[in-house]
Amino acid sequence: MRIDKRRLYHLDWYLILNGLILFGIGIMNLVSATSSFYSGSYNFIIKQLIAFVLGLILIIVVTHYDYRLIADNSKWFYLGGIFFVVLVLIIGMVAGGARRWISILGISFQPSEFMKPIMVMVLANMLYEKKRENIPLSLRDIVKPMVWTFIPFILIVKQPDLGTGVVIILTTLAIMWFVGLKKSTYAVLISFGLMAPFIAWNYLMKPYQKMRVLSFINIDADPAGFGYHAKQALIAVGSGKFLGKGFMAGTQHKLQFIPEHHTDFIFTVFGEEWGFVGSVVLFSLFISFIHRCLKVALDAHDELGAIMAFGIASIIYFQFTINVLMAIHLVPVVGIPLPLISYGGSSLVSTLISIGLLLNISMRRYMF
Amino acid sequence: MKEETPTSKFKWCNLILIITMTVLLIRLWDLQIMRGSEMRRLSEQNRIRIKKVIAPRGIMYDRSGRVLADTRPSFNVYITPEDIKDFSQTVDGLAKLVDTDRDDIIDKLKAASRMPPSFPVKIKSDVPMDEVARIEAHRVYIPGVSIQIEPKRNYPYGEMLAHALGYVSEINDEELKMKEYKDYSPGDYIGKYGLEKNYENYLRGIDGEKRVEVDARGREVRTLDIIEPTAGNSLYLNIDMDLQMTVEKTMENKKGGCVALDTKTGGVLVLASRPAFDPNKFASGITKEDWQKIITDKSHPLQNRVTQGRYPPGSTFKIALALKALELGVINERTTFLCRGGFPFGNRVFKCWKKGGHGNIAVHRAIVESCDVFFYNVGLKLGIDRIHDIADSIGLGKLTGIDLPGEKQGLIPSTAWKKKTYGQPWYEGETVSVSIGQGAVWLTPIQLSELSAFVANGGTTYKPQLVNRVVSPVGKVIKVFEPVINSSVKLKKENLKLVQDGMRGVVNEPGGTAYGSRLQTVAMSGKTGTAQAASSEKGSHLADHAWFIAYAPSEEPSIAMAALVEHGGHGSSAAAPIAKAITEGLFRTKIEVKEAKAHENR
Repeated sequence: MRIDKRRLYHLDWYLILNGLILFGIGIMNLVSATSSFYSGSYNFIIKQLIAFVLGLILIIVVTHYDYRLIADNSKWFYLGGIFFVVLVLIIGMVAGGARRWISILGISFQPSEFMKPIMVMVLANMLYEKKRENIPLSLRDIVKPMVWTFIPFILIVKQPDLGTGVVIILTTLAIMWFVGLKKSTYAVLISFGLMAPFIAWNYLMKPYQKMRVLSFINIDADPAGFGYHAKQALIAVGSGKFLGKGFMAGTQHKLQFIPEHHTDFIFTVFGEEWGFVGSVVLFSLFISFIHRCLKVALDAHDELGAIMAFGIASIIYFQFTINVLMAIHLVPVVGIPLPLISYGGSSLVSTLISIGLLLNISMRRYMF
Repeated sequence: MKEETPTSKFKWCNLILIITMTVLLIRLWDLQIMRGSEMRRLSEQNRIRIKKVIAPRGIMYDRSGRVLADTRPSFNVYITPEDIKDFSQTVDGLAKLVDTDRDDIIDKLKAASRMPPSFPVKIKSDVPMDEVARIEAHRVYIPGVSIQIEPKRNYPYGEMLAHALGYVSEINDEELKMKEYKDYSPGDYIGKYGLEKNYENYLRGIDGEKRVEVDARGREVRTLDIIEPTAGNSLYLNIDMDLQMTVEKTMENKKGGCVALDTKTGGVLVLASRPAFDPNKFASGITKEDWQKIITDKSHPLQNRVTQGRYPPGSTFKIALALKALELGVINERTTFLCRGGFPFGNRVFKCWKKGGHGNIAVHRAIVESCDVFFYNVGLKLGIDRIHDIADSIGLGKLTGIDLPGEKQGLIPSTAWKKKTYGQPWYEGETVSVSIGQGAVWLTPIQLSELSAFVANGGTTYKPQLVNRVVSPVGKVIKVFEPVINSSVKLKKENLKLVQDGMRGVVNEPGGTAYGSRLQTVAMSGKTGTAQAASSEKGSHLADHAWFIAYAPSEEPSIAMAALVEHGGHGSSAAAPIAKAITEGLFRTKIEVKEAKAHENR
């Protein structure tokens, strides 16, 4: 069971390097973002690096097995994922009003993060034959994928972790679009899409989530201080000006004006300290990374690999876009980490596993 | 297979990536380039607060440089409304940590509601160390609360000299609206009483300012720059704290007032009023209970009896009568009247204090033994309006102009006064009472000390002055208060000598009313007085007020005094010993310099 030298040669070094640069920037930024905490940066950085090493080991494990084999067993991963998501609702740890973490043998993690790549594998496995035959999906064809998506979605939103739920739904829709849809299916999905906000508002959203939406519409209305924090985030990014305040010199996050500035609002730290120039570089690195993911999909040996790679590209794209748009007040506040940049072991490991899948697909692209 | 896959989906993807990048760049351009400066300014405004650095008030010293009032550091608790996240969490949390009611905190916040929300509102002053520690330990849970170390007024002698020094307290709402306090803000301390009030403009320093960086909870992270405050100017008082302590000790548990003036300048050497209050209580934010206790106290500890207490002068008034009668030639050295212990006038008999009477008596013995009948006759011969004139020319009944707020005028009646006040003519019988300082004569101890000084100086009185000079914090003399003449009357030497000898005899001749208070080392001159006190509400008879006015040494007077003991009985037994103690103390300290140490108040 050795990885053959030829496959090592076919490793996507562009993707790896791009990812490493983003992670490097993330660590550097995290040093500044956590420096104002009472316990200091050290513990945060160590934990993040341990998660990184764990992620690297998992990349090796993931690339070792053929992605087709992994996809064949995806429903077991799915059932395992659902098991942990349900477990969270029962014995999860409460932090910040939400039950998102589970602790096993002293290691706490967030099962919902791992549902993202699992969903991609399950859906790819479910739909690759349709894709190969180039048949657009009818309404009947999408019932199964939608049901499989909604089960974890509802469980995750109940935690509540609306951000991850939204990413999972959007990724499913993107994968179905990628496979191809009939016109009638488009029509139904779009009409559901138009109704979704209404349903969400009346049946799904919790009061604090509604307040976030209200404060997004009118930042000065400030229900429960959400508008205040959104405004402070904007001020942080804006005050970076062209060149930024400089590494470790951001005052908005250091003086605690922004909550979650090391996780969901991490971009405000970067924008404040590195300004317009730094932000353009960071965005370019993300766009380039996502573009490279799409290239893996384009070059994949088969449709299964293409759908998996595309799904992973979608996850990273949605997380990046929504996270940054939220920080600069173009979408309502929702808890989504910035891949490779935000502090958080589960998110990092989940992202690295996804990258492992991408490498798996790309190194087997010439295989027959 | 792969070749046939439509790549149009990837073209869509690329388009979406380009659109995403464009949207992000436009937004960032708008935020960081177009509005960058505004955002930078907002972020600076967020973190930088301008805080007041309170200037220490000027120090007050006695004549030999002992500290009477200074400042010490104290811990004050503030709430900055802007930094409160959850109102009840902060307010209830603080109320639990410190010994303060929730309602008090809310009242304080309401009082400052017209200030900007970034203005810190003082909630409690001078909190003890254990409360400071508790607040520091719980600061994370009570955002908006901060502790400042600020100078606090401190009076090391406590109750001593309290009425002269006065006290400082937080400015209140009404005062804030007054024009004279227009550059004050809520929480500032102002002099409210005594010298603190009178010399507010000198004592108050110029507050400094510091720019500090604060975090989102309003905690100071670091100081960026500071404009140092300028301390207030110091006052050097004429007060002699040794004498003051002697007097305070003599008057302990008594009610009354005592003042001693430098006859040559009007400088106030001693000013004591009892019962007193502790000005330190006001400086650290007096509690409601303490304030209630002070203002409802029937003995009126806040009243300065020396300048605000009005009493009939009793026999001390005879000095003024004797002088005037001699000057006008109504009587001379040898004029005698017969005292049989009573003086029939109209349909009643005015008594002399000595039941058996003094027999035939002339002016000298009449002063020494304080014969009432002699002065009934003199008073009637003078008439009320001439009595009024002499008193007026000495300055009795008028404000002396002492540098304390709220001095009260006295009253010397005249026919014009009675007509104006009651619309009735003056009756001769009333003149008889006034002749011995009873009836409608009301004088304050400070005015009577001027009478004593008048005799001692041979017709000149000076304005009583507590403060000698104002000195800047770097030691530069800013203002010296030169003696101001209040009244100057030319007197015939022989008449003056007669009265002076009479006053000397009061203390030094056997039979003198204050013979018991004579001194071996130095000759003191004086005059006792015993004035009927107004009956209490219950109608029970209260003991008389005891007076003693004096100056010393008799040959070359340098100090003039007046002492009053409310309901003390006879002037000779109750008031004269106070003057004796002063004189003794003053002329002993000249020989042996005594180190009196102020007992630390806190």
